[in-house]
Amino acid sequence: MDFASNITAAALFQQVLVGLSRTTILFIVSSGLSLVLGVLRIPNVAHGSLYMIGAFLTYTIAAAVGPGAFGFWIALVLAPLGVALLSFAAERGLFCHLYEREHLMLLLFTFSMTLVFNDLVKLIWGSDYRSFTAPGFLQGSFDVFGLPFPRYNLFLLLIGPLVAFGLWFLTNRTKIGKIARAAAVDREMVGAVGINVSWIFAATFVIGCYLAGLGGALVAPTQNITQGMDHTIIIEAFLIVIIGGLGNIWGALLGALIFGLTDSLGILIWPQFAIVFPYVAVVIVLLFRPKGLLKSTW
Amino acid sequence: MNRFSLISAFLAWVLALALCAAPAMAAKTIKVGIVDCYSGPPSTYTNDVRDAFKLEIDKVNAAGGVLGRKIEFVTRDSKFKVDLGLSAAKELVMREEVDILMGTINSALALAISDLARKERIPFLATFAKSAKITGEAGHRYVFSITENTALAGKAGAVGLAKMPFVKYWIAGDDYEYGHAIADGVWENLRTLRPDVELLGQSWWKVGEPDFTPYITAMLSANPDAVIVATGGRDCVPFLKAAKATGFNERVPFYMHTATELSTLKPLGLDAPEGVLGTSNYFFYYPNSKANRQFVKEFQDAYGRYPAVGAVYGLLAAKYITGAYQKAGKVHTEKFIDAMEGMTVDSPVGPVTMRAYDHQAMLPMFMGKTKKAEGYDFLIATDIVTLEPEEVAPSIEEIRKARMK
Amino acid sequence: MIRALFSAKTLLVAALLLAALILAPQVLPRFYIYLMALVFVTGLLATSLNMVLGFGGMYQFHHAVFYGFGAYALTLLLTKAGMPPVFAYLLAPCCSAALGLLLGLITVRLTKLYFGMLQISLGSLVWALAYRWYSFTGGDDGIHGIPLPDVVYSSTGAYYFSLAVCSVSLLVMYLIVNSPFGRIFQGIRDNPERCRAVGVDVHRHQLAGQAIAAFFAGVAGTLFVTVEGSVFPELMFWTLSLELIIMCLLGGWFVFLGPMLGAAIIVVLRTFVGIYTEYWTLVLGVVLMLLIFFLPEGVLGFALRKAGPAQADPAKE
Repeated sequence: MDFASNITAAALFQQVLVGLSRTTILFIVSSGLSLVLGVLRIPNVAHGSLYMIGAFLTYTIAAAVGPGAFGFWIALVLAPLGVALLSFAAERGLFCHLYEREHLMLLLFTFSMTLVFNDLVKLIWGSDYRSFTAPGFLQGSFDVFGLPFPRYNLFLLLIGPLVAFGLWFLTNRTKIGKIARAAAVDREMVGAVGINVSWIFAATFVIGCYLAGLGGALVAPTQNITQGMDHTIIIEAFLIVIIGGLGNIWGALLGALIFGLTDSLGILIWPQFAIVFPYVAVVIVLLFRPKGLLKSTW
Repeated sequence: MNRFSLISAFLAWVLALALCAAPAMAAKTIKVGIVDCYSGPPSTYTNDVRDAFKLEIDKVNAAGGVLGRKIEFVTRDSKFKVDLGLSAAKELVMREEVDILMGTINSALALAISDLARKERIPFLATFAKSAKITGEAGHRYVFSITENTALAGKAGAVGLAKMPFVKYWIAGDDYEYGHAIADGVWENLRTLRPDVELLGQSWWKVGEPDFTPYITAMLSANPDAVIVATGGRDCVPFLKAAKATGFNERVPFYMHTATELSTLKPLGLDAPEGVLGTSNYFFYYPNSKANRQFVKEFQDAYGRYPAVGAVYGLLAAKYITGAYQKAGKVHTEKFIDAMEGMTVDSPVGPVTMRAYDHQAMLPMFMGKTKKAEGYDFLIATDIVTLEPEEVAPSIEEIRKARMK
Repeated sequence: MIRALFSAKTLLVAALLLAALILAPQVLPRFYIYLMALVFVTGLLATSLNMVLGFGGMYQFHHAVFYGFGAYALTLLLTKAGMPPVFAYLLAPCCSAALGLLLGLITVRLTKLYFGMLQISLGSLVWALAYRWYSFTGGDDGIHGIPLPDVVYSSTGAYYFSLAVCSVSLLVMYLIVNSPFGRIFQGIRDNPERCRAVGVDVHRHQLAGQAIAAFFAGVAGTLFVTVEGSVFPELMFWTLSLELIIMCLLGGWFVFLGPMLGAAIIVVLRTFVGIYTEYWTLVLGVVLMLLIFFLPEGVLGFALRKAGPAQADPAKE
């Protein structure tokens, strides 16, 4: 096979751009996972299911509001909030009684939630494939050095830094963020100074799950919305969190960058085996830095 | 104490389930056991098989059944897991004592059940699994396939593409057995038909790939004349979306085996890309025959949706089963198989013969191009060319060679 | 040694149970014999997982990879290498143990969640290999109709074979758990720092535990091939590993036979709930939630605690 015959500067640039837009989604989803992992110490396997539910809700809301840009924006705002509400109910109803348990129990508990969520999705939305489109101005593509770059991917490229900034602001500039960061390091101490840790945990959990829902809502227009969407994303998100450093949001960003870019560049450089590139990157990172690239919170 | 009663109740429930589940001794029925995946993305295909099967069986039963017996069927959900499906198939054979097994969209499971059918001497009708091995190298007396397979689809794609002027090709697809088998099938046949074709490169993605844009842009930078996309199932939808978003279909023509299928095009609505080449066994709007119109109407009346390709497989399964018992004259497995071999039944796509040598139903293939059409809020296939089964099925000689290995 | 470990009562119960199991094929219909064989296979697998999970405190998140590896090893030794079955059956679990050692070398440097996640990523690479290497492993289609020796070809033969192998394996594992090595291993679970302080090489013990657990997972893999006659990459998929952890939890992971019971409950429930509904996973999810809330020590752990607090090992983090 003619190896790497088609690599041009334009193609490389293009792959980097496309890879960055993929990074956005990966970052949004895995930063939510990382947040929950860092503060609550819950490896939330149900994160992928929430992402899927986010996509389904986006579809349903957009379909209910009607076609056009308005429905899209409404859905983009409401669907992640719906996911957040669901996670709030799960946290207050179930999780908050389990914080004292081992990680393994919590992991199994989130796995059981995955089982329930997935069958609920099947019950509610059935087995048909669902799809809906972004509003007109986000459809189609424009040329970058002769290669098409979808407008929707540009939109994702703009959203990414926005979410990153929002997260930075939340964790560094707001009181709740500061308390949550403190709780991640030493929850007894935070409790001892008279702060209600339970509600901090609830808020963190809901924000984390909101990000899963947001990820699902953002990919919905480019995807086949169907059962099983959660499977690929959850493994990728966990790997990203692991290579970034557990609980470190900027680690999630770095991990997402590594994952997204090795993926898209691998596709250009060696398309036949592109599948393994991100995983090889993960193994290499972990061989040299078994605890992840950035400092983890635990 | 509380917990103790909870456990006792739980154990009692398990026991009760196990006891109630003893097979109901229904007198004198013909029992068909269906194992298929009714969860997750594949269920969009498998529900049609079951529903159409039920529709036809109900008709037969209403008319008095076969040989004076009613036909009943039970289903088991394999969840696309081979171990679950195989257990379920064994349960159907050993506990429910079914006369016939059918089903599965999962090739690995179909091959596993086929092996079980051979050991247990129970006929197995594969309804959606696409592996050419089922009736090819792993074929035997007890297995039948009533769906196209990768060999048929590959050859059909090649026959269609050979008529086009393209020379430089790129191959891309789902990185699993099905994708590779389709791609190899198309490419090898195409090279035989058109020795001047040239392969620029290949890309393979994982099943369930979320974003196809990087693949498409990478393919575009190689500048092929045409692309063979060997993807199936749920990945068709996002691929077509990415193709539309990047204008891929306007820059490079591409062939994708299942692109024209209803399950792929319906969710996309009017936003699917036009001009994509695809092949399928069936469209509810083609062939425009009386039989097809009749079938579509009945299916719509019963379920309120258009029948997709799976519906034809389900209908054919029902027709073969009833027809073969009728022809055999008694409920007897070996006689049933003898009757199946070479049997022809009517269907919405015309008469379909079960080839006696390899037990492969000789289904025609329809190659068409996606296009918007009046009266539909989704794209349909147009410029349809019918590829006759004799033209696209592997020859008996090829099957014999594969089985010798 | 055996006499020291088991009371007369236990030995009597075990003998009676074994006799009942040996007689079962004369009485029970064929399907239940098959189902019991499946329980032995799955139970052995869950018990082997529990050796490192419950007794070693290691987050063995991807145990299924050793199971599938053993199954593939047996299949390939029989079909590709044409090895005599006796040797193939002996060698296949050793292949799993070797893989356990290899992955262990990389993973035991880490602890808890890091250990588990790294194991999942490495195990997924092994899975991908089986899934993609079409010419060698049959790819995602798997290998079916594996030529098995005549003795185990019938379902009764497979039943007796898996009963025998499973009983012997359980006995050996029990002896290991109660050996000095097993004691140290449990000590590491409860307090790795202290063990290190008294001069125990924690990593080496964990590595040995990995290899032993992987070996018995490999044994379970060969039994799966015997019972089902097929292999496919799903046997190494990570969701199966999580299901195994559920079995351990369900039965009770501080009791030696807990996982066996958990596996039996899951296999039986799955089969019979599946007859009535497509929503088996919903049922499983709810059962699991209830379990975590109300019965965290598992069914057998709970029963033993009720029967007499002395018997259940209360060790828990």
